[in-house]
Amino acid sequence: MRSPHHRWLAEQLPAWEREGIVSADGARRLRERYAAEPRGGLAQVIVGIVGALLIGTGLIAVLAYNWDDFPRWVRLGLALGPLALTQAVSWCVLDRGEAAKPWWRESAALVQALAAGAAMALVSQIYHLPGTWTDLVFWWCVVSVPLAWVMRSQAVAIAYLVGIAVWTVSQGVEANLFSARTAADVRIWFPLLLAGIVPLWPGPDLRARPAPGGRLVLAGSAFVGLLAVATQASALHRDSDGAFFWLAMLSSVAVMLFPLDRGGIAEPLARKPQVVLGGLALVIMALIATYEDPARELVKSVWFALSGGWCWLLVVVVVGCAAVAFRQGRHAVLAVAGLAVVPLLAAPFSRDNTGGWPVAIAYSLVLLGTAIVLIALEFLGRQGAARIGAALITILVVLRMADADLSLLTKGVAFIVIGSGFLAFNAFVSRRRAAAPGGSPA
Amino acid sequence: MRPAFVVFAAAAVAQWFLPLAGVWQHERVLAHGVPLRIRCSAPDPYDPLRGRFLTVRPEQDRAAAPVGMSGTGPIWATLEAGADGLARIASLSIEPISGPNVIRLVARTSGMTDGTPSVSLTWPFDRFYLNERLAPGADALVAERVRDGQKPVAEIRLLDGRAVLTDVFIDGVPIREVVKRRAK
Repeated sequence: MRSPHHRWLAEQLPAWEREGIVSADGARRLRERYAAEPRGGLAQVIVGIVGALLIGTGLIAVLAYNWDDFPRWVRLGLALGPLALTQAVSWCVLDRGEAAKPWWRESAALVQALAAGAAMALVSQIYHLPGTWTDLVFWWCVVSVPLAWVMRSQAVAIAYLVGIAVWTVSQGVEANLFSARTAADVRIWFPLLLAGIVPLWPGPDLRARPAPGGRLVLAGSAFVGLLAVATQASALHRDSDGAFFWLAMLSSVAVMLFPLDRGGIAEPLARKPQVVLGGLALVIMALIATYEDPARELVKSVWFALSGGWCWLLVVVVVGCAAVAFRQGRHAVLAVAGLAVVPLLAAPFSRDNTGGWPVAIAYSLVLLGTAIVLIALEFLGRQGAARIGAALITILVVLRMADADLSLLTKGVAFIVIGSGFLAFNAFVSRRRAAAPGGSPA
Repeated sequence: MRPAFVVFAAAAVAQWFLPLAGVWQHERVLAHGVPLRIRCSAPDPYDPLRGRFLTVRPEQDRAAAPVGMSGTGPIWATLEAGADGLARIASLSIEPISGPNVIRLVARTSGMTDGTPSVSLTWPFDRFYLNERLAPGADALVAERVRDGQKPVAEIRLLDGRAVLTDVFIDGVPIREVVKRRAK
């Protein structure tokens, strides 16, 4: 059930309770199961955020234009004055508690976060402080995230998530291009920074969920950040980047298997960006591994990765999340996650650096098996993904056909047949879903 | 007091603490530090959050490694002003030392120079911010002077091993002044 339906249900429940259609306990359980996300006027919130952004950036631009003409104390006053003002406004908004409209909270929190960043940037500019802009982003994130908690600001939370991902990537890049010793250890820092969002999502009552845009940014930040951690963990290991391939696979699985409650599991795939991002990355990497050289590199990366602590931590997280997913019956997601296990199983047989063909063929077969499982689950009435399974089979066949030593005419005809089959299957699944009672999401 | 107010107050204090700590630290060096001038190069890149700046790279970016130096770590350099008024590194120590002309650098062992182990040095200042209007002119001016073999000079103030960059000079005149004069 989608969020508007949750809201509709929440609006109807008081009347149903009054009319005795549901008991008070039943209504409470329905509210818990289908919790409605706070709405508070999306347009108002967006307008508030845009206004706050314009004020913040405009202020910085105006001050920067006259910079050289002011003495240092005036510049400091101009850097810190807006911070004091925005803090006072935020305090007033916070003081109004639940009476404060969501767009007030969003605007006040965002302008204050911008003012804090501007103050740090301008002080840093006035005194010609060294350090990269990503260092500034780090401190900006650290001092701004409490505003997301107390003002329940989605905009500040999104800015924070983008900021920590940017900083983590910068550290990963520094570790790879310059020195892994001078970069911050993001294997420790990134999980800590990501945990900084927990007081907002899921919050103290464990029930707060980000809006769809926030979910996408949260999933993207976790995914990009974990990939950056994987690059640094690889760079730290024997000065080789050989461990990255499998660490990236494990990171994708960790993002994809993030535990959900019953309501979250029931939602359609489009509202689960972590599953889409993690699954897509994993399938792409698996498809790449259906070729000989990447397959050999992937298996080698398992050995490199297993000698590092970060890999073991990821394995523990993945196993824990997989156990929860299994208990919840998320078999389709588990089938895709299984793609990361192939190199681990192949590694003991490939220690002598043998050719990559056995693994490449194994990957083709496992991908085919995964696709069949995704289709079968849906036809068995479980939560599957028949269309994604069909798309996977189509891509596999196209890749193998493209490799094959066949004439262009034969390949062309084959592609037409495969494409037609895929479209026909798609139409069949659509009809089947429409015919099902109430229609069922993928 | 509600917990939200306590968290908000803590965040507000942190938002003040970070910039003010920088202000206090650097004002102290500016007020009581020893002024020194160092020859440097200064190309003009861009910082997306803080605008245009000249990258200040002191000429002395390598030196013979002091005894016991390995890997990357802090190092203390004693600067001495020459007859031309420009400061140069007189000695390096891997142990903390104090003195009015001592500056804390970061050193990294970097192979051999003339048969002796050497270190590459990272100075504690690397950027001189300029107004957006002046920066392109300053960049062109520096490039022109460097082509003529006349590198700019960075002025710093030193206190307790900490350095603050105060200005960049061309022919003894602050670069901002030179660029403004040229623009007229």
